[in-house]
Amino acid sequence: MTALPTISAAAIRVAPFAYADRTLANGLRAIVIPDRRVPSAALNVAYRVGGKDDPPGRSGFAHLFEHLMFKGTTDTAPETIDRLTEDVGGFNNAFTTEDITNYYEVIPSNHLERLLWAEADRLAALTVNEDNFITEREVVIGEYDQRILAEPYGMLDELVNREAYRVHPYRNGVIGSPAELNAASLADVVAFHATYYRPDNAVVVVAGDCDVEETFGWIERYFGRIATPASAIPRVRVVEPPQTAEREFTYRAANVPLPALEEAYHIPDAAHPDAAALDVLETALGAGRSSRLYTVLIYERQLATSAWASADLREQPGLFSVRVTCARGVALGDARAALREELERVRSEPLAEVELERVRTQIASALVRARQTNNGIATAFVRATTERGDPATVNGDLERYLAVSAADVQRVALTYLGAENRTVIEYLPA
Amino acid sequence: MNDGATLPAAGPPHQAAIPTSNERTLDNGLRVIAFEQRNLPLVAAQLVVRCGGAAEREDEAGLSAMVAALLTQGSARLSAPEIAAAVDALGARLDAGSGYDASVVSVSATTPAFPQAFELLADIVRAPAFAPAEVERVRTKSISDLSLTYANPSAVARLVGHRVAYRDAPYGHPLAGTAATLAALGRDRVAWFHERFYRPDDAALVIGGDLTADEAFAMAERVLGNWRAPATPLTVPSGAPIPPPRAQIVIVDKPESGRTALGAGRVTIPRRSPDYVAAVVATAVLSGYSGRMNQEIRVKRGLSYGAHASFSPRRLPALFTVSTLVDHGRAVEATEVTLATLRSLVDRPASDDDLVSRKATVTGGFYRGIETIDGITGALAEHVLFDLPPDDLQQFAARVEAVDAAAVRDFAARMLVDDVFVVLVGDASRFASELARTHPVRVIPGDALDLGAPALEASAPVEGRPIVHDGVG
Repeated sequence: MTALPTISAAAIRVAPFAYADRTLANGLRAIVIPDRRVPSAALNVAYRVGGKDDPPGRSGFAHLFEHLMFKGTTDTAPETIDRLTEDVGGFNNAFTTEDITNYYEVIPSNHLERLLWAEADRLAALTVNEDNFITEREVVIGEYDQRILAEPYGMLDELVNREAYRVHPYRNGVIGSPAELNAASLADVVAFHATYYRPDNAVVVVAGDCDVEETFGWIERYFGRIATPASAIPRVRVVEPPQTAEREFTYRAANVPLPALEEAYHIPDAAHPDAAALDVLETALGAGRSSRLYTVLIYERQLATSAWASADLREQPGLFSVRVTCARGVALGDARAALREELERVRSEPLAEVELERVRTQIASALVRARQTNNGIATAFVRATTERGDPATVNGDLERYLAVSAADVQRVALTYLGAENRTVIEYLPA
Repeated sequence: MNDGATLPAAGPPHQAAIPTSNERTLDNGLRVIAFEQRNLPLVAAQLVVRCGGAAEREDEAGLSAMVAALLTQGSARLSAPEIAAAVDALGARLDAGSGYDASVVSVSATTPAFPQAFELLADIVRAPAFAPAEVERVRTKSISDLSLTYANPSAVARLVGHRVAYRDAPYGHPLAGTAATLAALGRDRVAWFHERFYRPDDAALVIGGDLTADEAFAMAERVLGNWRAPATPLTVPSGAPIPPPRAQIVIVDKPESGRTALGAGRVTIPRRSPDYVAAVVATAVLSGYSGRMNQEIRVKRGLSYGAHASFSPRRLPALFTVSTLVDHGRAVEATEVTLATLRSLVDRPASDDDLVSRKATVTGGFYRGIETIDGITGALAEHVLFDLPPDDLQQFAARVEAVDAAAVRDFAARMLVDDVFVVLVGDASRFASELARTHPVRVIPGDALDLGAPALEASAPVEGRPIVHDGVG
């Protein structure tokens, strides 16, 4: 065999981000990362409210609210944010996860002040009325039909969350159920807004072409005047009890082209010391064509048409998942047995040093690539702040991954990938 | 100073810097285009071979895609797993793919890893192994992947739209092939396509990022300078003529689809047409959240979660399409709204004022596209592919700004209003008979659909008139 090219992951160097991190008197946290290379800036406004915070019997609420935030304020017409971004050559959107709702805009940098104003305005003076509520609820249910029902395997994520968690609200997912959305009233929505949309539950991040002091001046001017309610913000305190026995479920749907399988294992939260080793394990198993799952299941044995691993690290304990979609003509049992062998192998022996170095290089390279866009940088700061509680962790990430040893990876595999901690969903053609 | 109560004004625009490039041609005819961009330790390169799916025969649909897919699956020096291991060990990205007009091999890596990653690119382009076992593997996986594509009504609608628009002309057949064409492709045909079309005198290399132009030229010379062109001159088949556009509705009956996918479109103009920029602006009037399609389909009527318009640059006249995904029961309404929305470009044309924002979406997207090194590389590669003048990248934004309302209306009147086809993939029993009252409608049963056949069914005549149904079921 020819000697293969290689580099040391430690040769990849990136300068730490220089950023400013301040908290206003009303509790709003603001982070500014200046980079004046291109005349463009990204603004992210994240609220610490996601699928897990949906009221009981009202799954899908945080996500429905994401839609309502585009419907105008006492001062502005519906879709004002779209006008202020799209019409000047920028874009905006939002996403809702289990833990946060994040609104973002990318605009030519001379428009940054306007977007800070508009984001503060929709926090302070959102209009929620029966018409908006009914229209957007229909749109959300349409999104459910499109993403969950019409997409092959669209229901799989929902099933995994529902079966892996018995008591923690992560079991309800993010998109929620059409039945519960249809049962909601305008009063429910108004109460939800009052509870979670407040300055001390928000993180504002600006990355790109801006002056730090000028930007904080704008943030203070527009967000600083919004009052914080005296009441405490409700937080999910439910702890999922340790799973003690394997769970297995079968799901059938008409639009499933090939049998698929997902196994999910409970893991700790994103700030846990094992998080980096779990990310390394994810990469070793599932990232790239030299990953173990690709090499064995897709390439060598041709049992699968896709195979991946995911360390879904969240603010509260998340899931490590592996998923395979069978190759045509392959019985799911055969793909499943091969997958099981690979998971046993990471438990029974440590990664070779050369494999570990490769995985570290893959992760370090991905970190560099993620810094190419202002919005990528802003979102990284949002996630570090909300999921790991500290924006400074962004600058420590490279070192954190370089410090993971083969023994660490084997240890987390042994700790978390046990049968008793596993939920299996078989997803089959009807 | 703003008191916080009212929307502040925008500041003066900041200046945008467009990367400049340098070009040299190596002795073997390979054009090398280099640029410098040093904010991050990253370097990227794209090798553009100016032949792709359009050069395939009908009965070899999928050949260029198979060649590209096999490039990363082994060279004379490295096996497929060795290439994969090398790419991952370098933290690189190495991809090969084909479009209708070109085959593109691209690589990027951090600065310390790039020289070795670039050698991998040269290795797989110049000396692919096309090992029989790998040919079988790629074939099996490609056929498997087709069943995923066919389960997605939107993907089927796109493929059917190409057939309806181009029939047996170069962009008609599916780039990914069909199970039948893929089954018939052997190693000899794969090697033939590579030998004939992958050659330095019809290719270009774009390379840039965290290195100087001189370093880039030196690296290209060292690694690709001794790549020899075949002695025989390149000839490319011209292909069947593109049929004249015709108003028609083609329905693929797939009752098992969750929703009905709708695609409407028409063959328009090539990339080098003087109308290209007007076409891009017309597309922008229709597309995006604030575009007319989404406004009419989603915002005003709640017919769908989204609606889009799409128009890609091509060497031959390109397909313009709009698309959405709706409940089966609302497919008739969505069809009429879609056709009316296209007509609206002429009935109530966008004014110069309206265009200010739609043109801003084009220029904003253009500037964001060149925010990343891969984006700059891709933009320069497009310029090479279509033989555009070297300063076109510098001039693009100004050309967009120069498009006025009359140009957009004129382009739409000629290209987007008459002779528009509609493809619907969904439960035909819910909408076919109603549409047939007012449109020429052809219904193809889902299991009779053959994307390998220019007329979409093995038995249907290529030049047949549309089959008009008075009712279905």
